[in-house]
This record gives sequence, structure tokens and C-alpha cells, in this order.
Amino acid sequence: QNNEEPKKRKSRWADDEPKPVFQLPDFMKDLAGGMDTDPEIQALNARLLEISRMLQSGMQLDNRPEGERSPSPEPVYDNIGIRINTREYRARERLNRERQEIISQIIKRNPNFKPPADYRPPKLQK
Amino acid sequence: PGIGIGPIIGETPTKVLCLTEMITSDELMDDGEYEEILEDMREEGGKFGALTNVIIPRPSKSGEQVAGVGKVFLEYSDSSSCASAKDALGGRKFAGNTVTAVYYAEDKFYNGDYGA
Repeated sequence: QNNEEPKKRKSRWADDEPKPVFQLPDFMKDLAGGMDTDPEIQALNARLLEISRMLQSGMQLDNRPEGERSPSPEPVYDNIGIRINTREYRARERLNRERQEIISQIIKRNPNFKPPADYRPPKLQK
Repeated sequence: PGIGIGPIIGETPTKVLCLTEMITSDELMDDGEYEEILEDMREEGGKFGALTNVIIPRPSKSGEQVAGVGKVFLEYSDSSSCASAKDALGGRKFAGNTVTAVYYAEDKFYNGDYGA
């Protein structure tokens, strides 16, 4: 060794970086998003599923007995005289509103959540 | 295992590891660089077990083709050291190049055949 270079020359080897941790591909993350561990989101998801089932099943949505119902609003009729705001209709609207509200809340907690195609973000209120 | 670049199916472990895609013949022509590369190989390769030999074929000054130029051969005293070196060095970067590590047939290595 005739040259006086410092003993500790930088090796050409790159530092042994740890092998990359296995990462879920993006589409898997979406699936995993359904298995959320946050209990609040779990509850919201469960309710969302329940509402979606009720809306799709065609079952009677408001089956409260007569005495427990709240007073009906003034009837609204369409242009051929059929009542629009039936009890059934109002119950459906109520569920739809709750559904949209739940989706909004899930999105708030998990911005990666993919809302259903018919979800409309609430209009920003002044 | 199997993290590296497409291991050949049925690849049998040997005591000789062949590293490729890491150095150019220009670097090997230069005596200083060659010595440094050799040193880097001994130092890094020695971390995985007893290195018995390090061979880095160099291009000939006359310009004729020399088999195995650009490859680095690390011979270990046992194949399990060789296997851990293969796992660790394959995919690592050397002078900015990503290294490919494969087992090399011992008989060829001992016969001085570096061109396989």
C-alpha cells in the first residue's frame, strides 16, 4: 500500500436497505377498506348495509302501528291527483336521507371510501 | 428467497455466487478501480460467511474477448453462506447498478470457465 488514502473508503455497495415491506396493491386496499377496524366506521357500515337492504327489499318501510305514528303532513298531490307524500314515500325519503348522511360521515372518517354511484354529496350550507 | 430477479426454477445452490450487471469493463481496466472493487467485494461478501475466493475477470489489454468480464465470482466455504449472500446482495445497488446474483456451477468455476 503506497498511497496514503484514508483507510475507510466509501464502499461502492449501497447501504443494505431493508427489503421493501410488502404493500397491498391499491385495489386490495379498497377491499381492505371494507374491513375497517374503527368501531365507529364498522357501525356506520353496518347501518348503511341495513338501510340499503331495506330500500331494495320492497318491504313495508313504516310499519309502526297507527297510534305510534306522528301526525302526517299536509298531503301533496301530483298533477293527476295522486298523493305524492304517502307514508311509504316519506319513510323511504327518511331512509335515503339517513343513508346519504351515513355515507358523508364515513367519507369524513375515511377519505378513501368509495361512495356508491348514487351518492350525492350534501350541498354546502351557507 | 425468491425476492430477487426471477430465480430459475430448480436452481441448485452452489458455493459460488456470480454477481452480474454491476461493473463495466472500463472500470476493470483501471488498476485503482479494480483494486477498490475487489476490496468492496471481499468486505461485503465476507459478511455472509467465509469467503474462500473472489474472482473478477478483467478485460485483456490487447483487447481480445475475455470470458466473464463484468461478472464477479464469490466462492464460499459452504453453500448456506453463499445462499445468504445471494439473498442479501441480489437486488442491492453497487455503484448505482442493481446487482443480479445467481448461483454458479462449481465445476465450471474450478475449471476457470467464467463464461457460462
